[in-house]
Amino acid sequence: MPYHKFKCSECIPEREKHAVMKGPGEDLSCALPLGYLNTIPGTISERGCAYCGAKHVIGTPMKDVIHISHGPVGCTYDTWQTKRYISDNDNFQIKNTFATDMKEKHIIFGAEKLLKQNIVEAFKAFPNIKRMTIYQTCASALIGDDINAVAQEVMDEMPEVDIFVCNSPGFAGPSQSGGHHKINIAWINQKVGTVEPKITSDYVINYVGEYNIQGDQEVMQDYFKRMGIQVLSTFTGNGSYDDLRGMHRAHLNVLECARSAEYICNELRVRYGIPRLDIDGFGFEPLSASLRKIGLFFGIEDRAQAIIDEETARWKPELDWYKERLKGKKVCLWPGGSKLWHWANVIHEEMGVEVVSVYTKFGHQGDMEKGIARCEEGALAIDDPNELEGLEAMEKLKPDVIFTGKRPGEVAKKVRVPYLNAHAYHNGPYKGYEGWVRFARDIYNAIYSPIHQLSALDISKDEIPTDKGFATAKMISDVNLSDEVRNSTDLREYTGGYDSVSKLREKTYPYMEKQLADV
Amino acid sequence: MGEDLLKARVAQLENYIMKKCLWQFHSRAWDREKQNEGILTKTMQILCGEPVEKESPADRCYWVDAVCLADAYKSKFDWISSLNTNEIKRVMQGLKERIDFVTISGSLNEELTVQQY
Repeated sequence: MPYHKFKCSECIPEREKHAVMKGPGEDLSCALPLGYLNTIPGTISERGCAYCGAKHVIGTPMKDVIHISHGPVGCTYDTWQTKRYISDNDNFQIKNTFATDMKEKHIIFGAEKLLKQNIVEAFKAFPNIKRMTIYQTCASALIGDDINAVAQEVMDEMPEVDIFVCNSPGFAGPSQSGGHHKINIAWINQKVGTVEPKITSDYVINYVGEYNIQGDQEVMQDYFKRMGIQVLSTFTGNGSYDDLRGMHRAHLNVLECARSAEYICNELRVRYGIPRLDIDGFGFEPLSASLRKIGLFFGIEDRAQAIIDEETARWKPELDWYKERLKGKKVCLWPGGSKLWHWANVIHEEMGVEVVSVYTKFGHQGDMEKGIARCEEGALAIDDPNELEGLEAMEKLKPDVIFTGKRPGEVAKKVRVPYLNAHAYHNGPYKGYEGWVRFARDIYNAIYSPIHQLSALDISKDEIPTDKGFATAKMISDVNLSDEVRNSTDLREYTGGYDSVSKLREKTYPYMEKQLADV
Repeated sequence: MGEDLLKARVAQLENYIMKKCLWQFHSRAWDREKQNEGILTKTMQILCGEPVEKESPADRCYWVDAVCLADAYKSKFDWISSLNTNEIKRVMQGLKERIDFVTISGSLNEELTVQQY
């Protein structure tokens, strides 16, 4: 097994089996790190907890819901404000956060009464919102508050409201991934099948494992609607609570992030016979193949092809402008879970960058299988890295940019490696054809920002050149390009606007309207 | 087609699946067996011009992945068009065995045998 031993982790020998470097001729039967195990004592992990995974990743993107944490206020506040899962109802779920604010006295005497008071108060404060999710935390789990009983009591007294209880305390798994699992299973057990949805199309999907980061869901939904497909529910970005109760009536589950939401797809397949189709919303070729597959499933592949042709013609010249300038740049692809395999091959093929390392904070071995399979030989794959390992990897691999979360990203900046936010994005959305160009633009801006050259100068000892003017990003990026590329009239920089999402909310969809009229 | 050539061609087809597809990596061994069987059998049938079962939702889902895979193979690997039906079946059988090995029998993924989703 081609394990990679970090020098900084020699004092933690268990870490050796968590990193591999796939060599020539090696495949997944001999190159796969361990994964989804409890963090080893002594290694400072970058993971979140199971409560965070349930609430902040999966639960809270549901848009028309009061999301309340039954626990100390810090549980709900910390990380809440870093999320960017927007919604088309004025971002209710990211503008407001709720907690019961448990204190010591509640740990001793119980907090069920406090919970009920908070539920009623929250519904009164927001009378237009009739749906709620209650998230158990470590504190309320350990004292054994019966959250389900309190929720039922409120629902009996207020029949117009509906409450979902998610019992996923922070300690309920090795990482946030344990919480993804728990809320998937809890939702299908408690809520799916409790509402009969209105079917308005012959083609009906659930869009699963999509969190509308900076508008991703709305971009993809636009394509689906242009094809005449009814998106019955989205699990969970920009998703509506009651729509998600009707998931059992879809004809097809289209799965984006298998890491966080394959559980509910698998259960929907077993319990309701709805097939699961895994897709990629990132990158021109994978997205085109995904739209074509969905079109084929419903017998409307011509509609998919029309979108593919139109969008490719509009945006490919802009993607290629960046590809010419990003070729050969070294990238560390260090996201939380699914983007390591969504992006590993397509950024190499469509942007020309070299992926020198992949890591996952909370992924399972199945995610590493996909990620390693999609990487070229020699890429360093790391499971659940610690900060020192990240630094050692950057020193060894000398990447031009890393894609990761904001905490390890700030560490990278300190060693003058630019980073892009792989979780919440810099200037997303990154899904869709235009989104993929926006991602390329962000990579270009990260790598070629003049600040990196300026920041490398130490004014206390380096000679500061006074005979040169300020070098723009384009002056730096174009220096080695051929005249043919530099002066090409076919290629162009991104020409989309600052906001590529809001305009989608105003669109009309001829196929959808015709089908609605026929219902 | 000699063994060396067969192996080289199977490796090309395998590399495409590993780089471009997701269907082979479902989370449990029993699902991977169904996925590999369903999609690779239908891909073989499409490449051989044989009828393909696609009436049930599950079969239809396998079929859409198979259509895209068969199209990609035909466009990327010129040698496929020079094979007769028996040769295509031999290559696809070799591919099925290889994908089953890499994703199931030879996989190091310890979660494949977990009993629940």
